[in-house]
Parts: sequence; C-alpha cells; structure tokens
Amino acid sequence: MNIPAKSTSPVAIGLRDLHKRFGPLEVLKGISLDASEGEVISILGSSGSGKSTLLRCINMLEVPDSGTIAVAGETIRLRTASSGKSRPADQRQVDRIRSELGMVFQSFNLWSHKTVLENVIEAPIHVLKRPRSEAIEEAEALLGKVGIADKRNHYPAHLSGGQQQRAAIARALAMRPKAMLFDEPTSALDPELVGEVLRVMRGLAEEGRTMLVVTHEMGFARDVSSRVIFLHKGAIEEEGAPHEVFTNSKSERFRQFISK
Amino acid sequence: MDIAFASETLMSLLSALPLTLELAVTAIALGSVVALALALARLSGILVLDWFARAYVFVFRGTPLLVQIFLIYYGLSQFAAVRHSIFWPILREPYWCAVLALMLNTAAYASEIIRGGLLSVPHGQVEAARACGMPRFMIFRRIVMPLAIRQALPGYGNEMISMVKATSLASIITLMEITGVAARIISESYRVIEVFVVAGAIYLAINFLLTRLIAFIEYRLTPHQRQPLAIHGELKGEAH
Amino acid sequence: MNSPGFLDIVSFGPDGWGHVLAAGAWMTILIALAGIAIGSVIGTFGAWAKISGGPVPRAIAEAYTTILRGIPDLLVIYLFYFGGSAVVTAVGQFFGAEGFVSFPGFVAGALAVGVTSGAQQTEVFRGAFRAVHPGELEAATACGMGRVLRFRRITAPLTLRHALPGLGNVWQVVLKESALVSVTGVVELLRQAQIGAGSTSLPFDFYFVAAMIYLAISTVSGAFLNASEHWFSRGVRRG
Repeated sequence: MNIPAKSTSPVAIGLRDLHKRFGPLEVLKGISLDASEGEVISILGSSGSGKSTLLRCINMLEVPDSGTIAVAGETIRLRTASSGKSRPADQRQVDRIRSELGMVFQSFNLWSHKTVLENVIEAPIHVLKRPRSEAIEEAEALLGKVGIADKRNHYPAHLSGGQQQRAAIARALAMRPKAMLFDEPTSALDPELVGEVLRVMRGLAEEGRTMLVVTHEMGFARDVSSRVIFLHKGAIEEEGAPHEVFTNSKSERFRQFISK
Repeated sequence: MDIAFASETLMSLLSALPLTLELAVTAIALGSVVALALALARLSGILVLDWFARAYVFVFRGTPLLVQIFLIYYGLSQFAAVRHSIFWPILREPYWCAVLALMLNTAAYASEIIRGGLLSVPHGQVEAARACGMPRFMIFRRIVMPLAIRQALPGYGNEMISMVKATSLASIITLMEITGVAARIISESYRVIEVFVVAGAIYLAINFLLTRLIAFIEYRLTPHQRQPLAIHGELKGEAH
Repeated sequence: MNSPGFLDIVSFGPDGWGHVLAAGAWMTILIALAGIAIGSVIGTFGAWAKISGGPVPRAIAEAYTTILRGIPDLLVIYLFYFGGSAVVTAVGQFFGAEGFVSFPGFVAGALAVGVTSGAQQTEVFRGAFRAVHPGELEAATACGMGRVLRFRRITAPLTLRHALPGLGNVWQVVLKESALVSVTGVVELLRQAQIGAGSTSLPFDFYFVAAMIYLAISTVSGAFLNASEHWFSRGVRRG
C-alpha cells in the first residue's frame, strides 16, 4: 500500500482507523485518510466496497464504531452509549461541523416543498443565522455559477435531474463549506445529463476547493482529481495520484476495476 | 375497580347485546341491497339513475347520521299523509326508524365501496366471459360480482365496523341497546369509568370478532393469492 | 305557540329562526375546530410514538388507536361528559359545594371529538411521514440542522403536505361527529334544530334545514380544503 503523499497544506479532513459494521457485516475495516486543503480526492470501488459509508461517516450520517474523524483539525468526540453503540458525545458539535461541510447526494434530496432559491437559502438563514438579504444575494450568485439562475423560483419536481443536482451543489456551496462531500453525484442521472454536473464539479475543483468525491466517473477521477483512492471490501486497496495509479497500478483488482 | 359492580354492569349490558347486533345485522343486510342498487345505478350509464345515485351519496355522506335518524323518527310524523299511511305502524317504531336510517346511511358509504370493487374487475376477464357466450346477467353473477366482492371486502369490513359503532345512536331515540343501557347505568350510579370500560370492551370484542370473520372470508375467497391474515385491517373508514 | 311556516325557519326576520340556526351552525363549527385542534396535538404525539417512540409509547399509541377505532363515538362523549361532571362535582364538594355540578358540554364535546379524531390523525400523520422522502430529511441533517430546527423547517411542513388529503377526510368526519355533542346540551346546530322542532310542529322542516346547513358547511369547507391542498402541494413529489 502506498503511503499518502504528504502535502504542505493543512489537513482539511483527517480520518484515523475508521471501523464500521452493520450487523455481521464489517463495512469499513480501519480506514485512515488525510485530505489536505484544496485536494480533490476521488473514492472509487465497486458497490459494497464501503465508499459511500466512508463518506457518510465524515459528517456523521453514519457513526463509526471506532476511529477518529477530524475536520479542520477539530476531532469529533464520540462516546459509547449504553447499548454499546458509538454515539456523538456532543450533538451540537456534530451539527456545527456538518454545517461546515457541504454534502451532495446521489438522489439530490432537494426539499420538495421549497423552491430552488428557498432550498439554497434555508440552511444559511436558519443554521448559520445569516441575514436573509445577504443569503439571497449569495444564493443568486451561486445559482448563476451552476447555470440555473433562471430556475430560482421553480420547485425541484419541475427540474431535470441535472438541474436538480446543480441546485443541490449550490445549496451545499451556500454553507461556505470547508470541504465538499459528493456521494455518487451523477449515478442517478440520465447519461446525457451527467456532463453538465461534472462540468460544475470541475469548475469547483479548479477554484481550489477541497472535495471528496465518491464516483464511478473514471474520466473525472483521472482528469480532475489530485488523488484517487480505491476501496475494496472496506479497506484501501490502492491510492495515489491519478496519473500513477491509472497507468501503473500494482493492484490487480484495481487494474481489473478500471478496465471494466 | 369494583368487581361486583363491574360484573353486574356486564350482565346488564350483555342483555342489551342482542338489540345492538340485531340493529347492526339488519341495517347492514338491507343496506347492502340498496348499496348494490346504487352502485349499479352509478355504473348504468343512464343519466337519471347516475345523478340520482350521486345525489343520494352526496346527501347521506354529507350529513350527520343523527340528523338522518331525527328526520325519519321525528320528522316524518309531521306529515298527516305519513301518519295515515300503511307505513305508519313501522315508521312510528323507534326500532324500525333506527334500522331505516342506519340502512340508508350505510348504503351510501357501501355503494362507493362496491362501485370501486366493480370498477376494479379487469375488462379482459369480462370479455373472456362474453367470448364464451355467457349472457349479461350470467357474466355479472358468475364473473364480475365474485371478483368485485373480493376487491371490496376489506373496505366493506371497515364499513360494517362503522355500522356496529353507529348503532349506539339508536339509544338517542330511546332504544336500549348497549350504549343506551350504559348511559342509564352511568346516570344512576355516576360510575363513569367502570361502565365505560365494560361497554367499550363489549364493542371492542364485537369488532374484533367481526374483523376476524372478514379476514377469514377474505382468506377463503382468495385461494389464488394466499397471503398472511390481515387481521388488523385498517379501520379508518369514515364515521357517521 | 302559533305554527310558523318553512319560510319562517330560514328567515332572519323577527319571527324567523334564521339567526339562532346560524348561531347553532357557528357553534357546530367551533366544536369541530376545537376537536380537530385537540386531535392534531394528540395525533402528532401518537404518530411520533408509533414512528420513533420506544416500546412503551408505541404500545400505548397502538392501544389508543385500536380502542378508539372499535368503540362508538357516543360512548366517548358520555365518558367525557359524565366523567368530567364527576370530577367537577368531586372538586366542588371538596370546596363545600353541594350536589351535582355539570361539566361544560362544550369542553366535554371538544375533548371527546378531539380524542376520537386524534386516533384518526395519528394514522394520517404516520402515513404522511412515511410518504416523506427520507433523503430530504438526511439533507437537512447534513446541513447541520438540529432536531428541533429540522422538525420545524423540513419534517413538519413536508409531513403536513402529505397529510392534507387525510386531514380533509378527518375534518368531514369531525363535522358530522360534532352533531353527537348535542346530547350534552350544547346548543349547536342539531340541538338548535331540536329546540325548534320541539317548540313548533315542524320537526321535519327543522331537521331538513339543519341537514342542508351541514351539507353546505361540509361542501364549502371541502372545496376550500381542496383548493388549499392544491396550493400547498406545489412541488411536492407524490409516490
């Protein structure tokens, strides 16, 4: 296994020895990972490899059984509940750290009872307590950036999948996140709509944003990300810069995976 | 809780059980005939019948059952023609007025359930029967009705439970069924909780058995799709 | 008592019954509104207990809905009316009052209607919550919304939108059920019609007018509920 390339930038997200099991199934078997600021990490792996679980552990949508998670140097405190399960020790800390991370879901998960603009300003106003006018101004800029400014007053149900996902990216950006988490952002899209979302993501990468992207898009992993991680059965099987691993991987499994 | 009082109450209330059951069974049985007629009127394609059935359902579902009972029991006696008609011996009896009101009321709700069941019959199966050369009435009796009943049974079960509960309103026009007797015991003894618990338990028992019975019939009628018994079928049908 | 004609019943003139019937109709609406409001509180807790409560709250909620589905509404009204009177009488005697003190029929009726409609609303809210897309709730969590904020801004509005058709049905049921509250002596629409019927020789006319007023209330409120359902469900995905 490769040693992660040490970067000089500060660590945005640091994971140490994460373990997670669902019943008898051990999904994560001790994952450690440092994402430096500005890094774009593509997390690859076949279904069941634990890649989505890994991403969901970072903002505590899944609580790891053991191991530590640090966001911008702050470690999330965990405790063991009476049931023996691991739980956040301080829910307010978790909520605050979640508000510092932008998450984009496979199925968009826009709030269906709110317009696109309302979706984007919801959390800035109510979680971050920003002034409404400021939130709206910023939301409109973000919607312009992802190319759906004209859809601001539409309800999500009336948008295409690609537009919905771009709205969801704007919603995540509105939190001014320290890092972005993408959970298979293009997997639920019709093939012809994948490109518009990937273009937006590439733009974000070029801005120097920290991004962790669980994806099946090999082109994105190879061309946009600064590092690629390949998970197999809950462990990191291969890791490195894309030009190295895509051309010259020592892992037979990874070579098989990318040749498919 | 006073066991002696409770058992005494239970005996008094159980003596009223036959009247409750009689009201419910009569109203449901007669109501089902009216309901079928209304459902067929809705589906007949004859405009007058269709609109009559629509208006009937609209009025009976849109007004409280108690108003319907009062209209029949107190209201009809206002007219000399009614008082002198051959129906008067029936219409002056609170029992028959209650049965009539319950029957007309349940017919409105049940007709919609039956209509839904009839509409659910796949057109292809009717065509297949037609292709066999079955006459219209035979198709209805042999193919459409059995399929519609299977479909409508769960909803009809809820309606029957509503009717069992609705018989309690007969107590307001002096019939001493279970709720009537319960109200009398309460006003004599002021022991509300005990009487409520005992009376409630009897109604729960009736409705529990009724649910089981319907689940059993449903089970027997659907050998082709044997599923686990739906004993606690959703009972949230509209009240009256 | 001279006998009025049908027109006097619906007339708002000095000899007409129009204004008292209108007052009765207003009381009917008040009972129904109070009942559905009480029921919505019970229904919210009941649905919460069934969805995410521990085994004990869940068992209580199950027992509550099963019992209320199986016993007559009238019995529940008697429970609250006579039970409330028994409590008030006991309290009165404690403070030295003598004899039977009657519990306000409006309160008893609203509570009884509330408790019965609470059982229905429990099921409505539970079904509505099930219809909410779980991802939308997860997205709220991922934004750092705490439990209360998430419930207030996301869960409750989405659930309510899915609950609207069911709540419309409950409203119609409650409206009709409010007629039973007349047994406690509250002068709502049916009781007012009874009074009219008793003091004239026109029972049919009075009950007929009452029936038409019930029909009008339920039709108008039904149309209003449909419109609001349409309005609030903009953008809410179905299924």
